[in-house]
Amino acid sequence: MNHVTSETFDENAKAALADSQLRGALRNATSLFGQRRLAAATSLNNWEDLRTQARAIKDEVLLHLDQYLEKFVSNAESRGAQFHWARDAAEANSIICDLAKAHGARTIVKSKSMTTEETHLNVALESTGIQVVETDLGEYIIQLAEETPSHIIVPAIHKTKRQIAELFTQELGIPPTDDVAKLTSTARETLRDKFAAADIGISGVNFGIAETGTILILENEGNIRLTTSLPRVHIAVMGIEKVLPRFADLDIFLKLLPRSGTGQRLTTYQSFITGTKTDPDSEGPEELHVVMLDNGRSRMLAHPVTRQSLACIRCGACLNACPVYQQIGGHAYGSVYPGPIGAVITPQLMGLEKTKQLPYASSLCGACREVCPVKIDIPRLLLHLRGEITENAPPAKGRRGERYAFKIWRSTMKRQWLYELSARVGRIFQGLVVKNGSIGKVKGIPPLSAWTGGRDLRPIERESFRELWRKELAHKKN
Amino acid sequence: MENRYDNRASRESIFQSIRANLASSVSLDAIEHELRHEKHSQPMAAPAPLLDLSLTALFKANLESVDAHCVVVGSETEVANAVGEIIRKLQNTKLLARRIAISDAPGLEQLVKQSGCDVDEIAVTPSASEVFRFDVGISQVQAGIAETGTLLLDSSRERHRLVSLVPPVHIALLDRSQIVGTLGEALLLLRKSEQVSPIVTLVTGPSRTADIELTLAIGVHGPQELFVIVNESA
Repeated sequence: MNHVTSETFDENAKAALADSQLRGALRNATSLFGQRRLAAATSLNNWEDLRTQARAIKDEVLLHLDQYLEKFVSNAESRGAQFHWARDAAEANSIICDLAKAHGARTIVKSKSMTTEETHLNVALESTGIQVVETDLGEYIIQLAEETPSHIIVPAIHKTKRQIAELFTQELGIPPTDDVAKLTSTARETLRDKFAAADIGISGVNFGIAETGTILILENEGNIRLTTSLPRVHIAVMGIEKVLPRFADLDIFLKLLPRSGTGQRLTTYQSFITGTKTDPDSEGPEELHVVMLDNGRSRMLAHPVTRQSLACIRCGACLNACPVYQQIGGHAYGSVYPGPIGAVITPQLMGLEKTKQLPYASSLCGACREVCPVKIDIPRLLLHLRGEITENAPPAKGRRGERYAFKIWRSTMKRQWLYELSARVGRIFQGLVVKNGSIGKVKGIPPLSAWTGGRDLRPIERESFRELWRKELAHKKN
Repeated sequence: MENRYDNRASRESIFQSIRANLASSVSLDAIEHELRHEKHSQPMAAPAPLLDLSLTALFKANLESVDAHCVVVGSETEVANAVGEIIRKLQNTKLLARRIAISDAPGLEQLVKQSGCDVDEIAVTPSASEVFRFDVGISQVQAGIAETGTLLLDSSRERHRLVSLVPPVHIALLDRSQIVGTLGEALLLLRKSEQVSPIVTLVTGPSRTADIELTLAIGVHGPQELFVIVNESA
């Protein structure tokens, strides 16, 4: 599963579909999280208002992102935070590697951060000889297994406890067990030594508050608290879109994010970190470095449709709701951002050439839009990106047929008699391909075989609505 | 790749990119605005009534729903007794609970001694290198949030960051007068102070994970058990 890329989405998806263990795990996870999210959302009587407000706040920030960033940065700097600006992944990694070298770091503990997964930070750090340890239990498991996360909230959702037990036996030398509590306490004990030894802690950021310069990080396990409190130096990696204007806005976002992600009213821990410690005896990091990552984000500001991608708060609700993700899981997307939001973010971050299949990895059913806590219109984004792909596609020979087909379709749809005639003709000829009441795989008729390659087609009904209507009217007159 | 990295140049180029992209979006935004006939949402509905419970009862119920223990007592002496009782019970488990780490809250050491339990060591705010060997951490907290059963820890008012996190058991002491109804009130409380403290932590229950087959496991990196003692008289 390791060298899967977005370019091979179709093959990845087929491989995932053949993996019955994976599909069982996905079914359990997505349905459980879906139910919990729904229960948590309906327990508030103002869920829709909260969504609307959250989106309005995000829109306001994104429309004036430069100003909010300046405010956030100057407030955090006045409290002792140091800022580093990274135009792309390579720049972010080299900033962090340089910081690690400057501090003579040998061991770094990391808490879960999608942004550092996006930049492949671990590979960069390891190439300089530094040991990087993921401390979130799920991330730790996939780091041991040398795999990549398959879900935003539950990174190791694709692995069974038996596989994890085997992994721990092999890598950590514990006796075989399938007791989850035992596995968890093994990870706890092993990682405590790493926390104690670490020179630097690296985390992500959920929200940056402009008016106070505070960064906020959410979690359940406590590893973020350990990562940010035990080592002397804390490096936080933050996408430039993660700013909120006011402290009070958190009231809304802290209601939406945990409920949408895991169905919790609040995650176990929220760490608010504002600058560095004020005197040697007080609490707080000695050094706080914030790495601000662009990596294609500012480009998304250029259009109101693409800009909404930056409102995402990484809750994972759209993954759980998506009928495509439910079947194939996260790896098939070939990106740290899977599911519906991944299908729109990945192409914008990595470029459409390498990710052409992703905007089509959706039935446009709209379930993602329904559950999104910040009301991102993902189906519209998917269509927008499909439009870009089509516009940029070279007018190849193969497309001439398609153009003619659409011309014929258009003139047919404009003339009622022609439409009805072609339906009648279709009804006669579809007898050749209809089996058991539906049209399965058709071979040799290019557009039809492409369509039916992956799905069944409903045959044309024996009588159209118009015909039934005319009959009904005639019946009434009599 | 090996070009000298220039923080100022990167910053400038990111801000330029943000401004240029936003500027090129202006005309599209106008169209988008026209297109969007999103109906205006109704005015914010009143928050759900806080049931017919006292704040303490609500706080306790919500705290227990996330697998923490909550004891409500009526006086300072009873707080000490409750601490003693919890530690004695823990001493009958394999945890032993003979090494106690406490925060620097005034009077806390006295209170633990008053609890009358037999321990080997009581240390005030042990350092990062020492804190790992303690069985129990005891601290006060700065506020409680009833609607979620949450504790608010402000580390500029009390040094309890590691004590509340590293030992397998955390015992937190809270006064009735510190309990607020909602998360919004707690956030307001934080904002009211002259400046936000370097470290503020919200804690709702013991550490948990469901990363292995979605099976809930309590106590992965933080405390495995959380006890909160609420003093109704303070």
